[in-house]
Amino acid sequence: MKRILIASAFTALTVLTGAPAFAHAFLDHATPPVGGTVAAPPHELTLWFTQNLEPAFSTVQVTGPNGAGIAQGKARISGNTMHVAIKAASPGTYHVHWHALSVDTHTTQGNYEFHVGGR
Amino acid sequence: MTDLLYCARAVHFAATVLASGIVFFVVCVADPALRKAQRVAAVAVALRLRLAWMAWISLAFAALSGAIWLLLTASSMSGEPAADVLSQGVLWTVLAQTDFGNDWLARGALLCLLAAAFVFLLSARGAASAWLKAAALLMAAALVGSLAFAGHGIGDEGVAGIVHPTADILHLIAVAAWVGGLVPLALLLAMTKGDAEALAAARTATLRFSNLGIACVATILLTGIINSYYLVGSIPAFTETLYGQMLLVKIALFALMVGIAAWNWSRLTPQLAEASSPAVAQGARRALCRNAAIEAAIGALILAIVAVLGTLAPASHANHHAIEGSIPADASFQHIHTEFGMADVLIEPGHVGTASVTIHLLDDDLETLPARTVTLTLSPPGGTGPEIKRPALQNADSQWHVDGVAIPQPGNWMVTVDAVLQSDRRLKLAAPIVIDRK
Repeated sequence: MKRILIASAFTALTVLTGAPAFAHAFLDHATPPVGGTVAAPPHELTLWFTQNLEPAFSTVQVTGPNGAGIAQGKARISGNTMHVAIKAASPGTYHVHWHALSVDTHTTQGNYEFHVGGR
Repeated sequence: MTDLLYCARAVHFAATVLASGIVFFVVCVADPALRKAQRVAAVAVALRLRLAWMAWISLAFAALSGAIWLLLTASSMSGEPAADVLSQGVLWTVLAQTDFGNDWLARGALLCLLAAAFVFLLSARGAASAWLKAAALLMAAALVGSLAFAGHGIGDEGVAGIVHPTADILHLIAVAAWVGGLVPLALLLAMTKGDAEALAAARTATLRFSNLGIACVATILLTGIINSYYLVGSIPAFTETLYGQMLLVKIALFALMVGIAAWNWSRLTPQLAEASSPAVAQGARRALCRNAAIEAAIGALILAIVAVLGTLAPASHANHHAIEGSIPADASFQHIHTEFGMADVLIEPGHVGTASVTIHLLDDDLETLPARTVTLTLSPPGGTGPEIKRPALQNADSQWHVDGVAIPQPGNWMVTVDAVLQSDRRLKLAAPIVIDRK
């Protein structure tokens, strides 16, 4: 009896350092902001999510005003934040499509726009 | 979630609970009970042999069902079909680079170590070393307790982030020790049908198991209440959600098991000790054996329910999956998240034509945000055309609806939700939403 209780407590303590988040990861906010306008073309996008992400399966695509992909390299992900460097492009409407896998194995995706320069 | 996933989960739970339960039973009940009686050595050997078969088969089923569960989850995580997961190296990425995969590697290792421990624990002579027994107990507890990371116990913030997983892990260990031990108990009771010595061993085993059972039931009850507090959160959620209703069935079956156990404990176990009347004692032994088997069957049913329950969105508002969990394939969905509140917007169907729009307003704690009025505005892509502005109507489940919305063209529309809250405060949420061609 005592052995069970000790083993249980020990196990509970040792596995408690374990995994974080739960639920689906939604886009919380971004820079440049969702639907917003910035004066100069940004060099990097940052997206914040509502849960921690799995870097191995979370991606983002960015297309510039002429429809070409402008993301440079893979997105860098840590915790619930995703950074991606982009090639500067002309003023206009930029499209972002993100695909997220939260640490509790659920996938979500979404897309948004932001604008650069005068409209 | 496919039926195959439900089956894999159910088999995995049952096999893990049984394998762990055998460890708890052998270390805490069978070895002490059978060691005392020298003359039942033959029974002890025979019992261990049968338990060894049971343990190996359970581990095999646990490994196979665990592999299927892993494969199906890796498929859904990566978006690749299950067949490609193996051939495209996706499985290795999941195992090595994700939390879920890492947990599964650890559990796979535990499975192998437990198999090795069984060789000694369930050999004809049994294990003498206290260290081996303690190690086996620890591994069994870790194998079943780590199932908490495959469920809804993890991920809360603050105090809940510690209390909830702890309760979940203890809940699982107590279930394995009690429900998992019922099958070996039934086996032991069936095999001790010989003379008075065998009967005495049966009585010792039953008394030891009763003590274990009482501690486990108390743990299951307490940790079950804690888990329900986090996952259901309110009385209405029990009756109004599918999750809550299934949980009620689980609780009812648990109460039935406890009822049978109480009957065993108060009526049958004392009869087993009737040295003066062997017939009564034997009758009690047979009845206890049968009842243990019945309880084990009910326990298996509970595990099947848990296999499905773990895939459903929990009922409490703090675990919000409400609209997202049931988004139809042809609908357009957007989640708008600001520091003042959020909205889930569902446009069904999400293409050109006439659609219904559903809006769910939530506050920062993911509780439904009550509002006096809600207005929906849909602005066409690039300002090419008139805005669609309609008031929304609230229905019984506190979601807001707008029906008969005619969407004339595809593209990136802008959806704006303008809500006047109970406090007269105004909440305006806007985000792009994609409308497809017909």
